[in-house]
Amino acid sequence: MARIPVMTAALAAVAALWIAAPASAQNKPPLTVGAIYVGSVNDYGYNRSMKDGLEEMKRNIPGLKLIEAENVPETAESERIMEGMIQQGARLIFATSFGHQQFAFNLAKTHPDVYFEHAGGWMQAPNFGNFFGATQAAWYPMGVAAGKMTKSNTLGFVVGVPIGYAIGNVNAFEMGALSVNPKVQTRVVVTGGWSDKAKEATAAGALIDQGADVVTMHVDSPATIIQTAEGRGVYSIGFQSIEARQLAPKYWLTGLGFTWGPFMTETAKSVIAGTFKPAMVRDGLGAMMTIAPFGSAVPDDVRAMVTAAGDKVAKGFNPFTGPVVDNTGATKIAAGDSWGGDKMGNFDWYVAGVIGKAK
Amino acid sequence: MFGPLLYGVAASSVMSGTSLLYATLGEIVGERGGIVNLGLEGIMLVGAASGFAMTALTGNPYLGLAAAAVAGTALNLIFAYLVVSRRANQLATGLTLMFFGLGLSALVGRPFVGALITGLPKLHLFGGGGARGGLLNYDVLVYLAVPVSVLIWWLLFRTRWGLELRAVGESPAAALAAGVRPPRLQYQALALAGLLGGIAGAHLSLALTLTWAEGMTAGRGFIAIALVIFAKWNPLWAIAGALLFGGAESLQLQLQAAGADVSPFIMNMVPYLLTLIVLIVWGWSRQTAAPAALGRTFFGVE
Repeated sequence: MARIPVMTAALAAVAALWIAAPASAQNKPPLTVGAIYVGSVNDYGYNRSMKDGLEEMKRNIPGLKLIEAENVPETAESERIMEGMIQQGARLIFATSFGHQQFAFNLAKTHPDVYFEHAGGWMQAPNFGNFFGATQAAWYPMGVAAGKMTKSNTLGFVVGVPIGYAIGNVNAFEMGALSVNPKVQTRVVVTGGWSDKAKEATAAGALIDQGADVVTMHVDSPATIIQTAEGRGVYSIGFQSIEARQLAPKYWLTGLGFTWGPFMTETAKSVIAGTFKPAMVRDGLGAMMTIAPFGSAVPDDVRAMVTAAGDKVAKGFNPFTGPVVDNTGATKIAAGDSWGGDKMGNFDWYVAGVIGKAK
Repeated sequence: MFGPLLYGVAASSVMSGTSLLYATLGEIVGERGGIVNLGLEGIMLVGAASGFAMTALTGNPYLGLAAAAVAGTALNLIFAYLVVSRRANQLATGLTLMFFGLGLSALVGRPFVGALITGLPKLHLFGGGGARGGLLNYDVLVYLAVPVSVLIWWLLFRTRWGLELRAVGESPAAALAAGVRPPRLQYQALALAGLLGGIAGAHLSLALTLTWAEGMTAGRGFIAIALVIFAKWNPLWAIAGALLFGGAESLQLQLQAAGADVSPFIMNMVPYLLTLIVLIVWGWSRQTAAPAALGRTFFGVE
């Protein structure tokens, strides 16, 4: 007897769903995008910058659906996770960490109707593109800031994995510093991984013990190094996300951040319109990268110099124009020669002024 | 150049070695009772995550430390139940514990990633302070590390409880015949081991890095297990072992900063190579020093 009201209710619910279904079909997202991060988006660093870019893309394309997965390791596990996103309807996947490349590429072969954008690699396919910031030249103005602010003429650089691109960052940093301070040196410590907090803290401490009074880094999250520097009363320059300045209220100088949003928006729009073209995109200051706001410790004249250097780079200045000598005295870039964007992965030497061994 | 180098190495070895020492001490207590716990990494991670979470929630790092100790103890008691009462294989259960701890710590820590905390305060002794850190300028866990090692030594070698535990570790059947109850002692030992392991993890997140990230112990739990062998299951030798490994890691980073002309890849291998060499050179002779019933499941006597 109690069945009748229950049955009525059930029928009513089904009818409601049936009526609602066409209405919700009208709200079908124009595109479902999947994104995998190698770490947590709360890292004040690389993953945060990717998240910010994707959120901007989502704001620019109303109704777009974004599926995300954090802490995706750079192993076959990532392939499984991306596959899961494709099963959920994703037609554009952003594989945001260097080590995700092969796995995303494998999926690109088995899913020709899904588009992939990988950050930081080189592989290409009709449905697989590559993008990254042209970080190297952008480090030049950071070097200018460090070179002007240092009193000990020693700068410290913590590198996660010494790939060519990272070494190029160190080189441009030192060259920028040398351009305003001919006596300055940069000491480099390699931790061996993109994200090992305990080692990063110890490495930053080691650089400060050796006299560095400006510390910077190329690791996934600048947080630990900046906090260590702040605790020891030493200047820091951030990388990956300009949000990192919140960690160093007193000794923040400046930093570099990625602005992925416009590129991600363009790519998503091209997938929706069916005009996706794979490319190897490397954009620098002004496009995919930006200089962070200055800290209170930075005087106006230094700010002007750094901004001017940044504008120079945005207009096409290439610090890797010969002659360039490495820290063993050998000439690596001959006079009249210059290393363009395609050679940024080839660095296996440090410029003169850098104390460290590249390989 | 050598002055700042040596000073820097000494200061940072003490910082990195402290969490290793607590973890090694905990493992020694457990192994003296005959139980090898391969899941120490999981215990440390749970300690690190819980400590960080509690500190982020309450603003008090000492509360965080307490939470880490409790979490480590609780997790190790689960291990104890499986291994002592259910008589599961210790090695397999230990590894399972490691994965469980890895996942559980990630779950606990997830809402707190990126939180900014005030870590364990550095207490100045004998005029510390300044950018160079002063002579003695560490948090309370560092100062307590050696006293705790001595306490554990005293507990194991100078108390009745310690004697009974060691008897259980050598021969549970003989201990049982002497009126000792092995399961009770093993539970107690593993609870203590969990407490120390949790504190070890907390030192990483509340003092060394002031942050939490998934898997942040990066294999230190396993290094501690190797250090137990190096220390011949003696808490006093564990101090040397922890300083050695902590020192190796600091030394390679300090040498890089000082400009050593060695490939950074080789430098990063140094601590692990050292551990391997130690185990190869001393491992065989150490085997005789192991508790005789280590790793063997006790099924009781007829």
